[in-house]
Amino acid sequence: MSINILGTATTRFGELWKISPRALAKEAMINALNASGLKASDIDALFVGNMLSGILGNQANLGSLLVEELGVQVPAFRIEGACASGGLALHNGINSLLAYRYKTVLVLGIEKMTDHNQDEITSALMAAGSDDERMAGATFPGVYALMAQAYMHKYKVTEEDLASVSVKNHYHGSLNTKAQYQSLITINDVMKSARIADPLKLLDCSPISDGAAAVVISSEDNARKIKKPVYIIASEVATDTLSLHDRKSFTSLSSVVNASTKAYKKAGIKPSDIDVAEIHDCFSISEAIATEDLGFSKKGEGAKDITKGKRTLFKGDIICNPSGGLKSCGHPVGATGIKQIVEIAEQLRGEGGMRQVEKAKIGLTHNVGGSGAVAAIHILRI
Amino acid sequence: MSGIIAYGTYIPKYRLKLSEIAHVWGKDATEIEVGLRITEKAVPGFDEDAVTMGIEAGKKAISMAGIDPASLQSVYFGSESHPYAVNPSSTTLGEYLGVGNNYFAADLEFACKAATAGMQATLGLLNSNAISYGLVVGSDTAQGKPHDALEYTAASGACAYILSNKESEIIASILEMSSFSSDTPDFWRRDGARYPSHFGRFTGQPAYFTHVLQESKNLLAKSKLKPSDFSYCVFHMPNGKFPRNVAKKLGFTDKQLAPSLVVDKIGNPYSASSLMGLAAVLDISKPKQKIFFVSYGSGAGSDGFVFETTKAILQKQKNTTPVSKQIVDKIYISYQAYLRQTHII
Amino acid sequence: MTTSPVKLWRRQKDVASLIGKKGEILLWTIIRVPAKSFVDQAPYPVVIVKMQHGGNMIGQLVDWQQKDLIIGKEVISVLRRLRTEGKEDVIYYNIKFRPL
Repeated sequence: MSINILGTATTRFGELWKISPRALAKEAMINALNASGLKASDIDALFVGNMLSGILGNQANLGSLLVEELGVQVPAFRIEGACASGGLALHNGINSLLAYRYKTVLVLGIEKMTDHNQDEITSALMAAGSDDERMAGATFPGVYALMAQAYMHKYKVTEEDLASVSVKNHYHGSLNTKAQYQSLITINDVMKSARIADPLKLLDCSPISDGAAAVVISSEDNARKIKKPVYIIASEVATDTLSLHDRKSFTSLSSVVNASTKAYKKAGIKPSDIDVAEIHDCFSISEAIATEDLGFSKKGEGAKDITKGKRTLFKGDIICNPSGGLKSCGHPVGATGIKQIVEIAEQLRGEGGMRQVEKAKIGLTHNVGGSGAVAAIHILRI
Repeated sequence: MSGIIAYGTYIPKYRLKLSEIAHVWGKDATEIEVGLRITEKAVPGFDEDAVTMGIEAGKKAISMAGIDPASLQSVYFGSESHPYAVNPSSTTLGEYLGVGNNYFAADLEFACKAATAGMQATLGLLNSNAISYGLVVGSDTAQGKPHDALEYTAASGACAYILSNKESEIIASILEMSSFSSDTPDFWRRDGARYPSHFGRFTGQPAYFTHVLQESKNLLAKSKLKPSDFSYCVFHMPNGKFPRNVAKKLGFTDKQLAPSLVVDKIGNPYSASSLMGLAAVLDISKPKQKIFFVSYGSGAGSDGFVFETTKAILQKQKNTTPVSKQIVDKIYISYQAYLRQTHII
Repeated sequence: MTTSPVKLWRRQKDVASLIGKKGEILLWTIIRVPAKSFVDQAPYPVVIVKMQHGGNMIGQLVDWQQKDLIIGKEVISVLRRLRTEGKEDVIYYNIKFRPL
């Protein structure tokens, strides 16, 4: 069976104070359906990826809520895995097709964060960590800062090296009309920005965002005029300990290594076959480590390769985060995993506009929950 | 006969110089330091309270005693800064020290003599053989109202004493004890009030001096001893002046008093004050030395003890962090940090 | 963060057994933008400690100075107030670390 992406859509990401969660979801879902040439009644089920609706908005039962926006009472599910909720929702949607349970499903990732203030959000995001971490007064930036220190210490990497991740992603984001931040930044800007959790500074960290993204996937080749079909050829998930301090390594995420190894095997490809990837850069250090865990760079050289431009549009070999990544495009937590799919699908269809990666044929999405407790890796091709 | 078999003390690491306080309020630092005979006081960390400090002191006492904490059969916790108005510090302490469930427990309050009163209650249980081992803790994070005289002296610290009737383990026998009590409202704090109130000079002669002197005279008479029979004397230290005055009045020498005068460098940690002075003396005592001890709690009362050290003290002195060492293990902080750490801002 | 007395009570024996244990700092950071419950304590260091008795722990570092923030620094576990809770809430105690 082949898993086909029939249509994709994403909303603008940013501080969308005027747009309600329902409206955000509806926009993404309707646009994805339109792009697929389908009506809501053609959908067999809805899978929703979201992390904070219950914690911040006191709204659970999200599946049922969102099918109301579709106007069809189909089975609906909310899947949660912290910031990997989107990728996990897609994985579950794919599994339902593989099981012959459904034929065409809509997968939505959505998050509304900006209704709340900074310290509420910082606390809420720590739901992705462990009780030990919360009671230690750790925050998400804090946990990744510990990883950053381990990485910088082990591989003699500097804060400036890590800053190049943010600089690259802002450059890409400046070419993306949906991105939260479309401005260029410099290494100096990053170095001068306020410290959040030493050594990570404000511009090392992805922002707080609202946004939604949706894809329609089907097991049918669908006679309905898909101009450029994109196939999902691997969808793999792996987990690791919730707490950073319980891990075997502080400079590598075994959940990513395991999931991507399974994915490459399933897809029958090597890391170097990847043309374009959307990486979960919740913090600059995350992308450095990810490119190593995914096999794009040798261990310890991820950050250095990024500073050399190896992951940059028009310059590098495996282009990472053409959308601007989480840093520049924004990180509405539950939506990110699906936005990554949307970006790669557009790249493979040649719809990347100003940020088109030349001759992109195979793409990968890397979606991580918490500090690496869960990872969802998808490989797409045309 | 019962006595002390072990003790432990804890002084928080932070110090605020009295000159810093004086500077904020536009007062003459030297005048204040000379008047009170204190140069700096101990300030708790942001997340310390009477219970956390009591646990530190308690663990040290248990270590010195070399006993299983589950052998403790009573826990009395004296403080005027119990974390709760209603909820026992004594059992929180008992739980985190691993005392188990089979013990007498109560929280005590009697201003600065809450813990010494606890010692007397424990001795009642020991001397009647109701228990073999009892723990007493005096611990306070004393609060002084900004711009008030007490701001210069109110400090923090904890002392833990394990008492027993097991002769071979005793390092300081309790030869005699007595108490002098009255209703003297020199210093008080109403329920819900943040800071205590005090009546200035009334806290001197009619309060501290009357009770300490009278109790001391009673104790000397009861034990049929003279000041010269003692190697050391320890008195409650609300400031550096009062204990020096009272020692002199009673006929004790500077040399007998000096080792106990922790107040000069840490201020007045209330329920831990006189007990801290006693610990400083026990840190350096030789066997068969008599120690004269009178505490004071506002409201008011004084608890007196005559201690005599034993041979066993020498070995146990090796298993402690001396008070003198904790006094010099310090970090100076600013007045602003002090306000933050004591939750005033 | 939870204010339930039940959770506090359920954790007691485990927490009690972890007081006074030595370890060394593996990693440290300083939290400058804290979660809600810790706003009044910031900035403060959070450390991952390799415990002498085995395994790693994460915790706040207390009574610290900049010179203590080095990988390999010996620390000991202590019991402290977790945070400033509401006036009517039960008081939470938790393991934190202090430089030796």
